[in-house]
Amino acid sequence: MIAPRRRDFLRAIGASFAAAAAGLSASSCAPIDEDGRTRVSLWFAYGGKNREELLALVDRFNASQPDVRVVATYQGDYFEALAKLRTALAARAAPALTHVIGEVVPYLAEAGVLEALDRFAPASSFDLVPALAQEGAYAGGASRPLYSLPFNRSTPIAYLHGGVLKELGLAPPTTWDELRAFARAATIRGADGTVQRWGFVCPIDWWFWAAMVGQAGGDVIEPDGRVTLGGEAGVRAVRFWQTLVHDDRTMKPPPGRDYNSWQAANGDFLAGRAAMIWTSTAFLRYLEDNAKFPVIAAPLPRDARASVPIGGTLFVLPKGSSEPVQRAAFRFLAWMMEPEQANQWATRTGYMPVSRRGLELLRASGYYTAHPNDAVAVDQLRVATAWPWSTALFRVQREAVQPRLEEAVLARRDAAAVLEEARRAAEEP
Amino acid sequence: MKPRHPLHPYLFLFPAILTLGVFFVAPLVIAIENSFYSWDMLTPPRWVGGDNYAALVRTGEVFGVLGRTALYSVLVVAFSLVLGLALAVALDRPGRVYAFVRGAVFSAYVVSWVAVALLWMWLLDADAGLVGGLVRALGGTPRSWLSDPDRALYAIAIVSVWKITGYAMVIFLAGLQDVPKSVLEAAALDGAGPVRRFWEITWPLLRPSAAFVATTALLASFQAFDVVRVMTQGGPVKATTLFVYAIYEHVFVNLRVGRASALTVIFFVVLLAATALQLAAWRATSHARERSQEPA
Repeated sequence: MIAPRRRDFLRAIGASFAAAAAGLSASSCAPIDEDGRTRVSLWFAYGGKNREELLALVDRFNASQPDVRVVATYQGDYFEALAKLRTALAARAAPALTHVIGEVVPYLAEAGVLEALDRFAPASSFDLVPALAQEGAYAGGASRPLYSLPFNRSTPIAYLHGGVLKELGLAPPTTWDELRAFARAATIRGADGTVQRWGFVCPIDWWFWAAMVGQAGGDVIEPDGRVTLGGEAGVRAVRFWQTLVHDDRTMKPPPGRDYNSWQAANGDFLAGRAAMIWTSTAFLRYLEDNAKFPVIAAPLPRDARASVPIGGTLFVLPKGSSEPVQRAAFRFLAWMMEPEQANQWATRTGYMPVSRRGLELLRASGYYTAHPNDAVAVDQLRVATAWPWSTALFRVQREAVQPRLEEAVLARRDAAAVLEEARRAAEEP
Repeated sequence: MKPRHPLHPYLFLFPAILTLGVFFVAPLVIAIENSFYSWDMLTPPRWVGGDNYAALVRTGEVFGVLGRTALYSVLVVAFSLVLGLALAVALDRPGRVYAFVRGAVFSAYVVSWVAVALLWMWLLDADAGLVGGLVRALGGTPRSWLSDPDRALYAIAIVSVWKITGYAMVIFLAGLQDVPKSVLEAAALDGAGPVRRFWEITWPLLRPSAAFVATTALLASFQAFDVVRVMTQGGPVKATTLFVYAIYEHVFVNLRVGRASALTVIFFVVLLAATALQLAAWRATSHARERSQEPA
């Protein structure tokens, strides 16, 4: 009697597995909700305030029309989200829509996993700020198919403690030499030599190093595609950090990697433990809202020249969704590029408005006169450098340079030797 | 026993074989295959032969990762063993207070790794943390352990020891229940002091428990990932890039599935060799014990 019952049990388990599998595949092929709306999955990579602002925009879009429902899902920080995106692409389960950092767009596009957007509308139909859109963000970006539309675009800027500036009677530093002098003047040490207030806190991160390479007169990747890491300029940038950290002991490299160290820098600034930090314009509203002192934003100082890279992300459509879903996703993108949405996003976060008309409207309304901190990043666009359209860019950033910067600065290894090693690593296939 | 049908034994084995095959053998075979390719998961894989292994050796990466993982494992195993044993012996007494302390020590083991890591990040923060505050109160200068390449690995080892010592203690407490009180009392009557009673009676009877704790602690420390991911992300520099984290970094940060697979295969071989050595040592000691128990 027992045997048949057991067999029935096994059969029932088998049947339930089959039913579950069928249910799963059925749900993944049904992008139409019960109310007839096309469902568009959007993977995003912000926490905190920026996440709230994005979700507010998504809600507004969903309420503004009856056809498309964008479902936004948080996927960790940029790099965590990117890891998930790549895994999902390999498993053919990519979202309809997501946003990725600028450095990885050429890589994904050349790997053939991004949908060309000019299939839906020509690039010229968007009226975007050229430096922030694909055409200006990449050297030769206009001659490629349109793979990306700008979303949250930023530049690194300096944030200064207004109270400290007043106390020292100094203006924000405009050159590397002035920065060094400012950091020295603003650092306060206790009787036992421990630092109570750092003059300068800057994450040991690729983005700030790339800014300094540009300022020292170099290019991370030459226009012909050779990876030089800026040559002498790259070395000079690392040495400047080494001097501030080890010789002057006026700069604190915040602990943690990637965005952990950025958060640590923000924390030091808000707690009054740092007179000046470098970080993204993305944190402008957050820092202003949470600081108990006046926050003064300033452009990054110049060395041989003024220069900043553009950061942040661009929207992309991963391949794999059905045509109606892609059209629905594109509808959301087009809506986000309109002046009203672009400006809502920019003024509530600190990112730059990507719509040219939107930017003009803000200027005309006197917004930048009333909020001079917001104007810093926009004004810095004049000296922004475009990334090369290089599939190597992402690997140069993540594998070759980023881990070695830490080693060079924290363990004070010879800057030229470390960068030579990084250059060789970047050449590895 | 003769099966009613020749296929029956295989039918009974089937679920186990299926599970092992799908979740162990197949991934291993795929990893071995991938280790000979250069693949970023997006573009077609490219055959590179032994290049992935060669690069891991040439850059010294595999030795660095192995060395760090071994140091971390030795620290975690040794300290959790010694502390767990000491706590078990100290707390193996009746009474509510002891029961509470036993529960408190074990509670760390129940908490998730991520929560533990976040808690210790705060404790170890040089400026705002509890440890920094204590050091300052004692007149010292607090250092940020997690951002110091020379200390970060030790900080992570301390956190891991703190977390798993409660588990070691519970295993030792169970082992202590098997130590006959009558033998201990007889030894005391014969004039053996507490130290001698421990070394001559308690410890030999606890050896199986110790072997069990050492093995599980070794496995846990070789697989450490969460604590690294949350507390240091492998840094500063490469100070806390342990084996599993290095594999993760290659796949998900550097887009190198082949390199990660090669590291996985090396990891597998190293663990296999370590297990074989451990088994051999185990057999040798148990043979020796059997022989010593034979009548002369």
